[in-house]
Amino acid sequence: MIRFFVVLSALIFGAFVFQLYLPPVLPFHGAAILLVPALYFYGAVALPFPLMLALTLYTGLLHDLFLVPQTGANPEFPAGLSAIVYALPGLIMHGFRPLFLRYRWLWHLFLAALSAVLTPVLLALSYAILSFARREFFYSDVIVWRILGPGLMSLVIAPCLFFILTPLALFLRYRPGLKGAS
Amino acid sequence: MKSSSIVALALFAVLVAALLVLPGSLKQQMQATLFQLVSPVLRTGASVEAQIGGVSGGLKRLDELERENRRLRLENEQLRTTNAMLRGLEQRVNRLTQALGFREQSPFRLIPAHILSRENATWWSSCVIDRGSLDGIAADMAVVTENGLVGKVTSVSRNVAVILLISDESLRVSVAIEGTQEQGIVSGTRSSSNYLPELRIRFLSKTAGINPGMKVLTAGTGGVFPSGVLVGTVKDFSVRELEGVAVVQPSVDLASVRDVFIVSGVK
Repeated sequence: MIRFFVVLSALIFGAFVFQLYLPPVLPFHGAAILLVPALYFYGAVALPFPLMLALTLYTGLLHDLFLVPQTGANPEFPAGLSAIVYALPGLIMHGFRPLFLRYRWLWHLFLAALSAVLTPVLLALSYAILSFARREFFYSDVIVWRILGPGLMSLVIAPCLFFILTPLALFLRYRPGLKGAS
Repeated sequence: MKSSSIVALALFAVLVAALLVLPGSLKQQMQATLFQLVSPVLRTGASVEAQIGGVSGGLKRLDELERENRRLRLENEQLRTTNAMLRGLEQRVNRLTQALGFREQSPFRLIPAHILSRENATWWSSCVIDRGSLDGIAADMAVVTENGLVGKVTSVSRNVAVILLISDESLRVSVAIEGTQEQGIVSGTRSSSNYLPELRIRFLSKTAGINPGMKVLTAGTGGVFPSGVLVGTVKDFSVRELEGVAVVQPSVDLASVRDVFIVSGVK
């Protein structure tokens, strides 16, 4: 279990670095290609609750350090805030863990789709916090595309990652919910 | 709920709260440390990206020629930037000489830097450069090219630094519109990005005679950005109920700019 957690954490770190080189999708009004949410949501559904929270803290902190410019003494989006943003959809995902433990590919596909649906929730929550901090809320087509676009792309990305991560977990001798799992 | 889950939840809440109350400077330091840690990867990634770009251009060049070409290009851009800034300074000096009398101005000291990566964050516009505190870079230094303003430095580690771009809504720069008495604050918008930049100047006078094509220059107030640096040109001016709003096209192509200069002071 710990081995899988460490490997998943390393993959999330690598995905953050890799994302730096992924260009935005201009037909989707500059929406970003996001790999981290799918990895995180897999962890949220595969790991037990305490480790899921640890992964949330780790992912949220890395997100803020990699992507949010930390300016001045009082940054409008301080590092660590994304842990809360990730925790909310992460907890929803974790609620579906009993389905994950059935080890049916159809349920895994459903959970991958669910992670794609929850990806825009992450972006929408960040946007809401940012709007609150800047004391101005507005939305436009571009904003809607930036929120929904990564979710649409994640409908393709998440199933691929899910079907890679499950064999990886088994390879690392982690099979949650079953006796004999390390 | 299991007791271990309750303990984990409490610990999570405490750690998040502790992170949130950390001083801003410490968070900047954490960010700088992280980028310092991944800087070898970023440098390799940037060079691979450049090589891929070179191959796709159908050209094969010797390493030495490439290095020399790069050095000369940097030198050329540095000279052009200095020249452009001197021109801006000259105009300012002339204006001050006419209005207030002679005042000495000095040209800027520029540190060349290369952009290693552009953060493709949804709501923020920033990038990482290959210069850090060892090269004399410090937080809040202005970043320019020969075409105009790029942004300012936020976090600095030993070898790399993070730049907040002018397309970001949180970066506000005091500007003046050439040919008018109008001054305002230019910033990006939340829907703005490196690839689709959109700058706005708000709270302008409704009767300001601002026309498309007018140049927008830094006003020099605030102490971060030197005066007279080109920010962009006015694309559109509209009058709202209480204010005039100008839409500005940045003079620097933020999606393709590779080499920048950090203004480290005056000579």
